[in-house]
Amino acid sequence: MVDLLFYVAAALCVLCALGVVVSANPVQSVLMLLGSFVGISLIYLLAGFQFLAAIQILVYGGAIMVLFLFVVMLLNQGDPAVLASEQGLLSKAQLAGGLAVAGSALALLLAAVVRTEIPRPIFGYLWPEGGLDPLVGMAQAMFGPYVLAFEGASVLLLTTAVGVMTLAKRQRTKPSVKAAPLSSTTEGSP
Amino acid sequence: MPFLILLIKASLIYGGLLVTAAVMTLAERKISARIQLRIGPNRVGPGGVLQPLADGVKFILKEEITPDGANKGIFRLAPIMAAVPAMLTVAVIPFAGETVIFGLDFGLLSLTDLDIGLLFVLAFSGLSVYGVILGGWASNSKYSLLGGLRASAQMVSYELSLIMTALTVVALSGSMDLREIVEVQNTGNPLAWNCFTPVVGQVGLVLFVIATFAETNRHPFDFAECEPELVGGFHTEYSSMKFALFFLGEYCAMTVMACLTTVLFLGGYSVPFWEDAPWMVELATFMAKTSFFLFLFIWVRWTLPRFRYDQLMNLGWKVFLPIALANLLLAGAFISLT
Repeated sequence: MVDLLFYVAAALCVLCALGVVVSANPVQSVLMLLGSFVGISLIYLLAGFQFLAAIQILVYGGAIMVLFLFVVMLLNQGDPAVLASEQGLLSKAQLAGGLAVAGSALALLLAAVVRTEIPRPIFGYLWPEGGLDPLVGMAQAMFGPYVLAFEGASVLLLTTAVGVMTLAKRQRTKPSVKAAPLSSTTEGSP
Repeated sequence: MPFLILLIKASLIYGGLLVTAAVMTLAERKISARIQLRIGPNRVGPGGVLQPLADGVKFILKEEITPDGANKGIFRLAPIMAAVPAMLTVAVIPFAGETVIFGLDFGLLSLTDLDIGLLFVLAFSGLSVYGVILGGWASNSKYSLLGGLRASAQMVSYELSLIMTALTVVALSGSMDLREIVEVQNTGNPLAWNCFTPVVGQVGLVLFVIATFAETNRHPFDFAECEPELVGGFHTEYSSMKFALFFLGEYCAMTVMACLTTVLFLGGYSVPFWEDAPWMVELATFMAKTSFFLFLFIWVRWTLPRFRYDQLMNLGWKVFLPIALANLLLAGAFISLT
């Protein structure tokens, strides 16, 4: 039963993740990402991490994805015809390069997964019955021995966010002549 | 046997929730009529009590319209996303303590007793934003979109205050398990209820109640609908049962939030001056407390005018959040002192 549920959740994750990349409609992509998060939360639940599962839904499902949807809707992707023509802008070389990078990343990941010894009974056995309180245990781990890694991860996330903004800004300012009416409206709203 | 008990519990609790939602639609109209010196619905059944049933039949028989240019899949998904999370959250609310009906031991009268019950409720009530925002977007209408965007921004903003205030109670009770939170308050002395904790309790209760109003899109924060400006807001284009589902979701969310306020601040099912009350008395006490908050939802709606949108956002971020944070700190100080 648990095994079956795991495969369902894992399939949900992978299919939704594919859907994020494949779907042409950004709103649909965000919804697919939400589905993928729900799948991850289900896997947490199967492994006995109730708290992580709830936090996954609360923070990613309830707050961050709503923000994503919000931004996608506010920015309004513009004329579908224009968007469709822009989709063909990638040259063959760029496409091949992207595929090569993605493929080698996938190969690395697969190799890592295959070579790692995963203890067989992972689900339901992680917390001894009535023993360690998962919440207290996690809090102690997070703010005790792993506090540096925890803070490091948050700094990394922040850096990524700033980096994405910088990159997106650079891309946007180049063809500003073409998109003049659009940029004037977006500048006003924070 | 446990499965059978679970089944009975589930049908009782969900039946109760749906009936409450139906009664709320009638109460809303009756009380609003009273407040405005009208009579209200009184034609269907004695005193109009069968009005919700008539409304239901009407909703089913109405024509279902999907606007041109609407994103069909998401348009269909939105009412489901509005109704389902609100209904799921009721699963962890403890309605009464140890329950024995006809010699059958039902245990705690709640569907399930999670260690993280409170987080479960908050997580799933947070998901109801999707019903509003997706409904607004998929309708392909400017009024719907504006309503949906406003409402989702509002819900995300007030969710912060809601969670911070709930965290105060978690700190006071030392648990996220709703049963634990009730049991800590259930000492027979009503002064042990969280709302009587000096300063922290009262500030928390007021903040929490107001935040639930915003979270369920009720007056004076109903920017999701905002009839004079946005026709009907995010559900302008919805008709028939899809519209009814949005409504059902709203009333279920209200009911759950009233239950949650009772559990967190008013001692849940604990009866004043009677620690080991039988389950029927506990259930009746719980329902009485919850009914008060449900009445408050309606009372406020027909008494106060609507906020302006910028006022709402300023209130949420510049007033509520700082107070909620300060209250949390105060709760910490209170705990370390006692």
